[in-house]
Amino acid sequence: MNAPSDTEMINRPTSMFAGYPSVPGIYDEMAMSPGHFRPHWSKFVAAMERLGREELAVRWHHARRIIREHGVTYNVYGDPQGMDRPWELDMLPVLIPPEEWAQLEAGLMQRTRLFNLILADLYGPQRLLREGHLPPALVFANPNFLRPCHGLPVKNQVHVHLHGVDLARSPDGQWWVLSDRTQTPSGAGYALENRIVLSRILPDEFRACQVKRLAPFFRQQSDMLRGLAPHNRANPSVVLLTPGPYNETYFEHDFLARYLGFTLVEGGDLTVRDRKVFIKTLEGLRPVDVILRRVDDSFCDPLELRGDSFLGVAGLLEAVRAGNVTIANGLGSGLIETPVFLAFLPMLCRHLLGEELQLPSVATWWCGQQKEQEYVIEHLDEMVVKSAFGVRPGAPVFGGKLGDEEREALVEKIRARPHDFIGQEQVALSTAPVWHSERLEPRPLVLRAYVAASPDALAVMPGGLTRVSTSAEELNVTMQSGGGSKDTWVLSDDPVSTVTLLTASGQPVRAGRSSGELPSRVADNLFWLGRYTERLEATLRLLRCLVVRMVGEPGGDGPAELSALTQVLVGLDLLPKRFHENMSPKDLEHEVLLLLYKQDRAGSARQIAGRVRALASVVRDRFSADTWSILNKLNIDARSRPRRIPLVDALSLLNVVIVDLSAFSGMEMENMTRGLGWRFLDFGRRLERANHLARLFRAGICPEVKTASVLQPVLEIFDSVMTYRRRYLSGVQLPSVLELLLLDEGNPRSLAFQLEALRDHSEHLPIEGTLTDKSEEESRIESLGLLLREADIESLAQSAETGFHEPLNSLLGDFVVQLGVLSNQLTHHYFTHTVASVS
Amino acid sequence: MSTTYEITHTTTYEYSDPVSLSHHTLRLHPRELPRQRCLESELQILPRAGVMESHFDYFGNRMTFATVEGAHRKLVATARSRVTVKAPAWPVRSDTPKWEAVRDFTLGYKADEILEAREFVYSSPLIPKEPEFAEYAAPSFTPRRAVLDVVLDLTDRIHGDFKFDSKATNVATPLEEVLKLRRGVCQDFAQLEIACLRTMGIPARYVSGYLETDPPPGKPRLVGADASHAWVSFFCPGVGWIDVDPTNNLLPSARHITVAWGRDYSDVSPVRGVILGSGEHSMKVAVDVSPVTESEAR
Repeated sequence: MNAPSDTEMINRPTSMFAGYPSVPGIYDEMAMSPGHFRPHWSKFVAAMERLGREELAVRWHHARRIIREHGVTYNVYGDPQGMDRPWELDMLPVLIPPEEWAQLEAGLMQRTRLFNLILADLYGPQRLLREGHLPPALVFANPNFLRPCHGLPVKNQVHVHLHGVDLARSPDGQWWVLSDRTQTPSGAGYALENRIVLSRILPDEFRACQVKRLAPFFRQQSDMLRGLAPHNRANPSVVLLTPGPYNETYFEHDFLARYLGFTLVEGGDLTVRDRKVFIKTLEGLRPVDVILRRVDDSFCDPLELRGDSFLGVAGLLEAVRAGNVTIANGLGSGLIETPVFLAFLPMLCRHLLGEELQLPSVATWWCGQQKEQEYVIEHLDEMVVKSAFGVRPGAPVFGGKLGDEEREALVEKIRARPHDFIGQEQVALSTAPVWHSERLEPRPLVLRAYVAASPDALAVMPGGLTRVSTSAEELNVTMQSGGGSKDTWVLSDDPVSTVTLLTASGQPVRAGRSSGELPSRVADNLFWLGRYTERLEATLRLLRCLVVRMVGEPGGDGPAELSALTQVLVGLDLLPKRFHENMSPKDLEHEVLLLLYKQDRAGSARQIAGRVRALASVVRDRFSADTWSILNKLNIDARSRPRRIPLVDALSLLNVVIVDLSAFSGMEMENMTRGLGWRFLDFGRRLERANHLARLFRAGICPEVKTASVLQPVLEIFDSVMTYRRRYLSGVQLPSVLELLLLDEGNPRSLAFQLEALRDHSEHLPIEGTLTDKSEEESRIESLGLLLREADIESLAQSAETGFHEPLNSLLGDFVVQLGVLSNQLTHHYFTHTVASVS
Repeated sequence: MSTTYEITHTTTYEYSDPVSLSHHTLRLHPRELPRQRCLESELQILPRAGVMESHFDYFGNRMTFATVEGAHRKLVATARSRVTVKAPAWPVRSDTPKWEAVRDFTLGYKADEILEAREFVYSSPLIPKEPEFAEYAAPSFTPRRAVLDVVLDLTDRIHGDFKFDSKATNVATPLEEVLKLRRGVCQDFAQLEIACLRTMGIPARYVSGYLETDPPPGKPRLVGADASHAWVSFFCPGVGWIDVDPTNNLLPSARHITVAWGRDYSDVSPVRGVILGSGEHSMKVAVDVSPVTESEAR
């Protein structure tokens, strides 16, 4: 029997697509009318039908998992729960046929050429203004016109190296430009991530549809950026400048930096000396040739632009002026993304290119012109009124939705400051099917397309970022307002060759040179990541030791050990002082659960895990994909567990997370290059472990705690029970425990072991001055080693056992203090970020 | 008649903690004008700046970029200039066009000359266009009055209504606040007058420079007792830019030395810096403007 034909597949009674409701009067990307699909969708629709509803649901869960594992997030401002919101990707792509794309491509390239010519004139001779082609107010009253950027050298007049264009389709099928992004267009990285996910969950369908690949575009963009290096340097250093992890699209900055092989930096990582830009690394200053920036124009240089910016680099403009660095996109290019320019593009295109504008913009009237102002006011019902320069943006005002009073107030505002307003025609967006609750629903969409430009070439990304709104009625399509996204498949007539910059695991190939540079900020974060992962493990092991005894069968040494452990936690300030006397099991259970789950409790496992995740996310580019996915999973959340027997749930969570953490340390040992980054990470881990050991013994071997009852738990906490049993056939004795956990250099949990590791690291850290110099850290660690070796542990133990704890306690106290000083010294030497201030 | 001056402008920064790196922009070179010639101008920075590069900024002012590397707790920038200034020949009030004509002329856009004027009719970082400025300006803007007459009347009113008070405001005081306080310094008065002119459609720019001051009767000139000064320049078609000094209620003579102009103070701040280092800083400025005697003038 033959397989059913495409038409037969769609017309089956169980068809998902046959029942897809399109909205009357609206252009649907897929359906011409219910049950009738545009020809370029037929192959895809049939393939989906063959998969069937259930399989699609399975693949959908798979997609969600990949997104979680890759840690694809989008930060939403002003929403405490919203930081790191998982990326919303729809199952179904939007399909664009070859001939239609060819037209769009030509229109997009023309637009980028035009924009570069306009910027070159306005930041140069300003003939457009002198000759009356453009009203001067468009530039002079425009806060995005940055006068200090006027006359900066620009290679071949290319200001915009990546141009983002938001497109919408009207009911007649025509594409319109809604707006442009010309300073720091976002989304290209998300588009790529969408493609990676979708091509993995729908591999056969992706191949069958002959979809154009995105990788060649990114390779071209990367080559273009390298080609921008001043003085034609052969192996230029390119950095991606991010505002930092709180930026809404930080995920993408990190992702693109890795994908394109550039070093990810923040403003504080860069410095200007001798009119050149350098990156501050632990080994000194390294020159920077090209900066791909995601920092807005006016924030890039606190000296010549906004003085209150902490995101930029002082002196950057002068470095550009001297021709020593190229910035992409050029500084000041935000001028032309102000919506008011839309009204003048057809005329400018004729004047500058001698051509008609191929891609129309949504009809726009600038109120700074008398006739246009009257027109906008007269037709207010059909208008969307916006800020002409995008300064006091607020939400766009839909004229038709205003009451009489509001309407009058708006007209008055327009008449008072006409040149601050534009009126735009309302656009009916096209719809595309979205997979929602295992059904298909039409949703309005906006497509962001990308054009890369260099002094001698233009390239359009074959695809783009399609965003869909939250509901069929909502026309405000933004990721900030909670919409979703889609992959965009540009179909090809010919078979598509496979090119990828990704390795087998789906992660980008890393360029060689950038990995050698360790900005001191990154070293700082790695050091603290080492400390916090170790602190998390210590806390979890301590809690597990306690919880095991709380849920276990009473009898044996259990109750005595539980009581001893409780006192240790009080001594470590993890439990309130009242537990010195009161030992109500209910109260203890309550406190222990808080210590595990409560976000804002100092020292809680959840809080520490949050720090680990936050730190890991800012140094993500230092880890392999597998390592990252382990860190990304660390989550201590009571809500994710069925809450029948809280302590039993807690115990199984503790077990899971402890194993995850050891997977991380395994990855760290096995997969991380032994460079400076690893040394700082491990330095943090060793220092924290040594510190924890000293503190725990101080809290455990003291008059308040019965020594005999605390030793077994201590061995458990430090994972040394087996070793102890093998070595000391006797029962657990204090002198032997101290020997094993303080002095034994072969035990990776011992204090001696940590000190040796710290000594080794400190020897390898870069120091200023001659190589024979010993750093302060080295000397301090050596003296700690000496202190330990010279201590007479045997007699200290004996005196503690006879109730005289003081000598042991003060020795351990010395360690705690000295390790604290060591941490500060390291911070002072390597990480001190001097803050720039404006005067 | 012309006068030659020797001007010394010294800016001293002191930092509570050592600063390892500092970048500065300085606008301290007097401009070349038909009525003003800059004979000599030199800038010295201590500790020695590793980088000192000059260029002309968007408004044609000479700007120097300087970098000082190596720990320093103190930085002294000294600009010394020798400038010859001719007293300008200002037009007769009634010979200037009506103010409405200036406004309407500026709004059209055809010729190069007025393009520059168009740069100075919109709000700028420190000078918003708010209704209260128009309200304050209104009494001077009676219909069909000659523009110079209007501006001098406005200047006279500001001089009369506002008290010079160096304690009342600072560089961050909003202009609306200055209007309410009726107090301020030359910078405030200049920016206020500019706000009034711009809200009425007259292009006006901010001029920074120096003013030769007379010593108190019977006393010798005190070196360094002068200060930077600021005034206003407005555009008059057919004439060009006419300066007016609201702090002293007069049309500048040969005693006003022009250093830089822009839309407001933020475009022309004489010394600006970004330091790498923590801690506090303090700044002192000393300016000395001395006329050179004929024999010295050569």
